[in-house]
Amino acid sequence: MTNHDSNGGTTIKHRHRQEGPQKHVIAFIFSIVLTLIAFASVAAGGVNTAFTVLLLLVMAVLQVLVQLGYWMHLKDKGHMIPILFMAGGFFVAGLAIIAALYWMWW
Amino acid sequence: MAHAHTVKRHKGLMDWLTTVDHKKIAILYLVAGALFFGIGGIEALLIRVQLAKPMNDFVTAQQFNELITMHGTTMIFLGVMPIIFALMNAVIPLQIGARDVAFPFLNSLGFWTFLFGGLLLNLSWFIGGAPDAGWTSYTPLSSTEYSLTHGVDFYTIGLQIAGLGTLIGGINFLATIITMRAPGMSYMRMPMFTWTSFVTSAMILFAFPAVTVGLVLLTFDRILGANFFNVSAGGNPVLWQHIFWIFGHPEVYILILPAFGMISEVVSTFSRKRLFGYSSMVFATILIAFLGFMVWAHHMFTTGLGPVANALFSIATMLIAVPTGIKIFNWLFTMWGGQIRFTTPNLFAVGFIPTFVMGGVTGVMLASAPADYQYHDTYFVVAHFHYVIVGGLVLGLFAGLHYWWPKMFGRMLSEKLGKLEFWTFIIGFHMTFFVQHFLGLIGMQRRVFTYLPNQGFDLMNLISTIGAFLMGVGVIVFLINIGITAAKPRNASNDPWEDGRTLEWTIPSPPPEYNFKQIPLVRGLDAFWKEKMAGNKEMTPAEPVGSIHMPSPTILPFIMSVGLFIAGLGFMFTSDDFGNSFMNFIFSNYIVTGIGLAITFGSMLVRSLYDDHGWHIEPSELNEKGVKA
Amino acid sequence: MTTPHAEQATNVLPHEPEKATLEGRNKVLGFWLFLGGEAVLFGTLFATFLTLRNQVADGPSASELFSLPITAAATFILLVSSLTSVFAVQALHRGNRSSLAKWLGITVLLGLAFLVLEIYEFTEYMHEGYSMTTSAFSSAFYTLVGFHGAHVLFGILWISVIIGQLYKKGLTVVTAPKVYVSAMYWHFIDVVWVFIFTVVYLLGKVVG
Repeated sequence: MTNHDSNGGTTIKHRHRQEGPQKHVIAFIFSIVLTLIAFASVAAGGVNTAFTVLLLLVMAVLQVLVQLGYWMHLKDKGHMIPILFMAGGFFVAGLAIIAALYWMWW
Repeated sequence: MAHAHTVKRHKGLMDWLTTVDHKKIAILYLVAGALFFGIGGIEALLIRVQLAKPMNDFVTAQQFNELITMHGTTMIFLGVMPIIFALMNAVIPLQIGARDVAFPFLNSLGFWTFLFGGLLLNLSWFIGGAPDAGWTSYTPLSSTEYSLTHGVDFYTIGLQIAGLGTLIGGINFLATIITMRAPGMSYMRMPMFTWTSFVTSAMILFAFPAVTVGLVLLTFDRILGANFFNVSAGGNPVLWQHIFWIFGHPEVYILILPAFGMISEVVSTFSRKRLFGYSSMVFATILIAFLGFMVWAHHMFTTGLGPVANALFSIATMLIAVPTGIKIFNWLFTMWGGQIRFTTPNLFAVGFIPTFVMGGVTGVMLASAPADYQYHDTYFVVAHFHYVIVGGLVLGLFAGLHYWWPKMFGRMLSEKLGKLEFWTFIIGFHMTFFVQHFLGLIGMQRRVFTYLPNQGFDLMNLISTIGAFLMGVGVIVFLINIGITAAKPRNASNDPWEDGRTLEWTIPSPPPEYNFKQIPLVRGLDAFWKEKMAGNKEMTPAEPVGSIHMPSPTILPFIMSVGLFIAGLGFMFTSDDFGNSFMNFIFSNYIVTGIGLAITFGSMLVRSLYDDHGWHIEPSELNEKGVKA
Repeated sequence: MTTPHAEQATNVLPHEPEKATLEGRNKVLGFWLFLGGEAVLFGTLFATFLTLRNQVADGPSASELFSLPITAAATFILLVSSLTSVFAVQALHRGNRSSLAKWLGITVLLGLAFLVLEIYEFTEYMHEGYSMTTSAFSSAFYTLVGFHGAHVLFGILWISVIIGQLYKKGLTVVTAPKVYVSAMYWHFIDVVWVFIFTVVYLLGKVVG
């Protein structure tokens, strides 16, 4: 072997199970439900604004977790490095957003 | 699997344009970095000539603004970054026992986009005037209202392209260090320079996209008439400051961390001792990187963020002194009790430590928000950041260049000239910048193009100018040293400093194209030193001799970068009147931009459609090429 | 030993062909790193939008401007396309080239539909005299949503090229990482869209 691989190489032989589509269809339905809740809560209106904002953000985060965890396989073994770097990216993005929300206007 | 592909090997200029060999790309980065470093240095000298005496009229105020803007921008983005990348390219694959980087094609692409971005920025001197809003390019000064030439457009688009190259380089080194390490080289056995480069690359990855966005916003404001920073349509100039510094503060740690790594290697080698507190060094590096992202607003204390924000960022900034202090003490303890040899690289390393401490101390002073209201925008700040960037990074780069020069070129630089270079440079450096602390404290503003006599500024400014020329002499001695060395025979041994500790010193200088005939087995930190102590002359191989797969050379990265260059230039001049209907037509309808992008994306398509099968070096060739390379 | 590559892949494809070679693993890892950087890129664009969301000058505000049905349709389309690209990767793991090409093709078509909706939305606003130069809010809106749209366009072109390569070169350890990485890209585009429809459109309606 030319190179030592710390990432992924060893997991190949353990993962010969064939994944069916059911799991992903369930994740998809879950995403659709989350989206529907989000749109419905806005379309309905009249509810407490702060509550709606919180609800929308929770729906968005849950849906992103489905995408990243299930569909982009971040929950699988051997994804430490991708998780680390995605988290880093989201962290710095969060810093920019905090600055934009709290330290821009006075 | 010995299927030989015939591959076209280029000679001469085409070899350099098409190379994907990390060692040659290192040399390209070094040459380009030296070019821009020279331009930035000349700009610095012109600035100091103008400031040598009060009421001087050597340059006009406008020219002065252009000079300081281009000096800062060139030095940060185009001068020291490529020299860091040169050393990373030259050393990291060797230190981790790899035959190449993870993405040789991207490595080449990163270099060429960087180079063409830098050339585009410097083209501004010849067409339309250089940028003049400072290297920070704060709005509204950089808006079309106050900056009338295309200078700032060259800044935004040139840096955009160069920044893309840097980002590509960062991703490449991250992937290389994660996947290409030799068997046995765990993360905690990586040499310190590899570690700091790894962390720096991660910071590049997270910091550069922010400035990408900032530059896009400024470009759109200036060229498309958007309103991000236009107060009359609801925009906010503070947004630029935040975005710039969310990138800009990590950027200065991106610069200094590799220097920390170089110093660690040099100090340890020339003390003949293992680096003291290796794991605390790793921890401190990561902590500095993390804190580096949390302190950007200390550049904005006087903007008016309010006491809560100022207090938070003040404390976070002071915290950085802790991991930095850990590093300083670790270097001192490495030297303590070691058999120290004051070779040129070690002189630079030892000179680095107190100089950098001085820059760090003024940094903690500046971190105190109330005091910063006094220091802000004075020469005290100029003195501070030159102490950390020149006294820190540039001394580190000189240490690294002298240290790895024989590995890169197979020739030892003259020690005599090296020592002369060190003394002229460091004395010149302290002359230039030490007095600037006091200039700032007695009230001299930064970025002023001249000053009135008899305010106590005159003598100190003159001393500063003389010091700057002394630094220039130091750099010229270095160039002479390189010239003389190039004429000598290429006879450096594998381990020319004799006390090499890491894998790069186990292979010929310069290394053959494939670096390692057999990938070595790593049995501990300082892998080569460990073998030496066990009485072995060389590393234990981790594989039998076999045919080696190599990537093919390609011209595509060069063409893609040319495309970006054309597209950038075209976009900049969309609303100009050339007095020529054909020119007006192709620029105002984005035809030039379109052609440029078509070249770039067309090259990408070609790259995707035609697989690179590479070529093989067979074992029979290895034996004959192994020595002379 | 050197790394295995293209030619020997004529017989049987490994279970995860995208990770069968060092080049493939590097490509997947490198793309994850790139996505980390993309997160910062879009994060900064979101920061820009959020800080300028009420700076409408003389122009309309978010709640006056946006129409939820179009956004809901676009969201549904993009969500389905994320599912189809999951099916594509499953076909890849089964080594079924025609199924793979079919799912990629459907993904591309859905991407096109999304893009058509977005272009329709933008031209509507333009007709109402609402452009990039109207206000700081409009600049931020067009830049954020436009950046996402440009990513969708690039994805469509990219995946189309890959479909062509699947027919020309077959499903090999060279083409497999390309499919896998483009699917990652497509999911990431959907992740960004989740935040766009939440932060820009829905929160715009609620708070704006």
